[in-house]
Amino acid sequence: MRKPLPFNDIRHLAAHQFLVDEAYLLDAQAYEPWLDTLTDDIRYVMPVRVTTARGAGFDNSPGMAHFDEDKYSLTQRVARFATEHAWTEDPPSRLRHFITNVRTFATDDDTQLEVESAELLFRSRGDVNESALVSCGREDLLRRCGDRWKLARRHIITDEAVLRMQNLAVFL
Amino acid sequence: MGPATELFENVRRGMIPAHIYNDDELFTREKERLFSRTWMFVGHESEIPQDGDYVVRRVLNDSFIITRDSNGDVRALFNMCLHRGMQVCRAEMGNASNFRCPYHGWSYRNDGRLTGLPFHREAYGGNDGFPKDSQSLLPAPSFASYNGLLFINMDPNAEPLEEFLGDFRFYLDYYTKQSPQGVELRGPQRWRIKANWKIGAENFSGDMYHTPHTHASIVDIGLFREPKAQKRKDGATYWAHRGGGTTYKLPPGGFDERMSYVGYPDEMIARIKDVWTPRQQQVVGDDGFMISAATCFPNLSFVHNWPKVHARNDEVLPFISIRLWQPISANETEVCSWFAVDAAAPEQYKKDSYKAYLMCFGSTGMFEQDDVENWVSLTTTAGGSMARRLLLNSRMGLLGDDRPVIEALPPDAFHGPGRAQVGYNEHNQRELLKLWADYLA
Repeated sequence: MRKPLPFNDIRHLAAHQFLVDEAYLLDAQAYEPWLDTLTDDIRYVMPVRVTTARGAGFDNSPGMAHFDEDKYSLTQRVARFATEHAWTEDPPSRLRHFITNVRTFATDDDTQLEVESAELLFRSRGDVNESALVSCGREDLLRRCGDRWKLARRHIITDEAVLRMQNLAVFL
Repeated sequence: MGPATELFENVRRGMIPAHIYNDDELFTREKERLFSRTWMFVGHESEIPQDGDYVVRRVLNDSFIITRDSNGDVRALFNMCLHRGMQVCRAEMGNASNFRCPYHGWSYRNDGRLTGLPFHREAYGGNDGFPKDSQSLLPAPSFASYNGLLFINMDPNAEPLEEFLGDFRFYLDYYTKQSPQGVELRGPQRWRIKANWKIGAENFSGDMYHTPHTHASIVDIGLFREPKAQKRKDGATYWAHRGGGTTYKLPPGGFDERMSYVGYPDEMIARIKDVWTPRQQQVVGDDGFMISAATCFPNLSFVHNWPKVHARNDEVLPFISIRLWQPISANETEVCSWFAVDAAAPEQYKKDSYKAYLMCFGSTGMFEQDDVENWVSLTTTAGGSMARRLLLNSRMGLLGDDRPVIEALPPDAFHGPGRAQVGYNEHNQRELLKLWADYLA
């Protein structure tokens, strides 16, 4: 078992602050500033989970993801939200990204940190439909870029095989 | 007592009682009269390539294990133990030689035969009490495939699948036969939407009219060069027996040029020419139409589009998706969306095509996001009492006396079977709902 950094380690504090600051950007759908927190070689992946026998050795759908993004595709998604015709988020959802269980791990490269977190996204639309939740774990790689940290890799492990949300017009 | 005959008369003339999109009684009737008698898609052979591979799929509330047994035969077995009715397989996919019931340990070979029954002699007196050797998990009442697409029909006396599909097979080949190897499927992504299953099926069958508006944002960001309002109405919609779809009109050129225009590499075009009939090629090469979305009655849809997948250049690349609108209730649907690609395609093409799919369709797709927003809103509103007083006008493409606004294309302008016409219209949505009415009435 690798050991996480102590919670009072300055690197852990920096990583934790990165995730919390990011959650506020995502709640506010401030996607342009959010894109700026990603490295140009960002890999942003959310595999499709499947129910398999304990001994099967896999619980992701082979070769299939919900998100499998690079900077271009994420930029296109953000650009779409900025148009006047992205109906799915106009009126916008009310979003709350709850981030917890944060653990930070040092890597061989001192400009990079691995961070694990748990996330619960609450999403409410309109006044009639029930609100929706997505529960997931995240494995991130943060990279030091000048005087700030940026997100270089995110692996999102959703806890549902069948999502109970009408679409993923959100980021996790 | 069933619904009033007036309801079906209205549907047949293209005036749709709005409540059919959220009505518990009609959903019960759909289960009794439609889903119990029609061919329902459950998966594709490529999802279970090896002996022993299986996936578990539902036909509404009935769970089936779709297995490739140890002899390589594909079967559909009702996922319920013969003894006390427990599900013998609770995983969604995997590889198994046997399925063992967790309740009392009865076990079945992957071809369904009962092979293990603990204390058979002590508890049943052996075969005298329970002749286990002749027992098997119940097979699906009817089970058949076309181009590897697997279908179950709950009616043991169902008409053969090929007859059911009829001329729509001509169009199915475009999506599922681009080489002798056929397609391979990945996924599905699965998610639930609070929308009636019919809405998506109708939309994919023929709604070219929504593209320029609903999907305006896709054009705004330059992801897709086609769906400008002017271009979309130049396409043709076709209906052939149990299915129909939409097409785009392509710029001038022959078959090869037009296939390249949407992004097929030369080696794929060569293989496609070996497997598509001359007539199938003429729709593209002579007539200039490229298939896009389609629906096979009742709830299986297809999409073929060609977005820009890289920042570095303007090249587009095609992707294919197959999707099932799995009904959960009158106002809820589980969407199962697969990525499909020709099995013989180059690896880089498969990679890029997958990327194109994820950007456009599926749980995160940029087209799909706006569609679902509309369908959920429509379904919610259809559940109220005012919806029972409203007939939705689905007569686009028809004049008051039922003559078409635009005449059907003659056979030399559209070489595919069935009826096709250019321009905005709702012919296909009406055809789909007429079939629905035929089953329910």
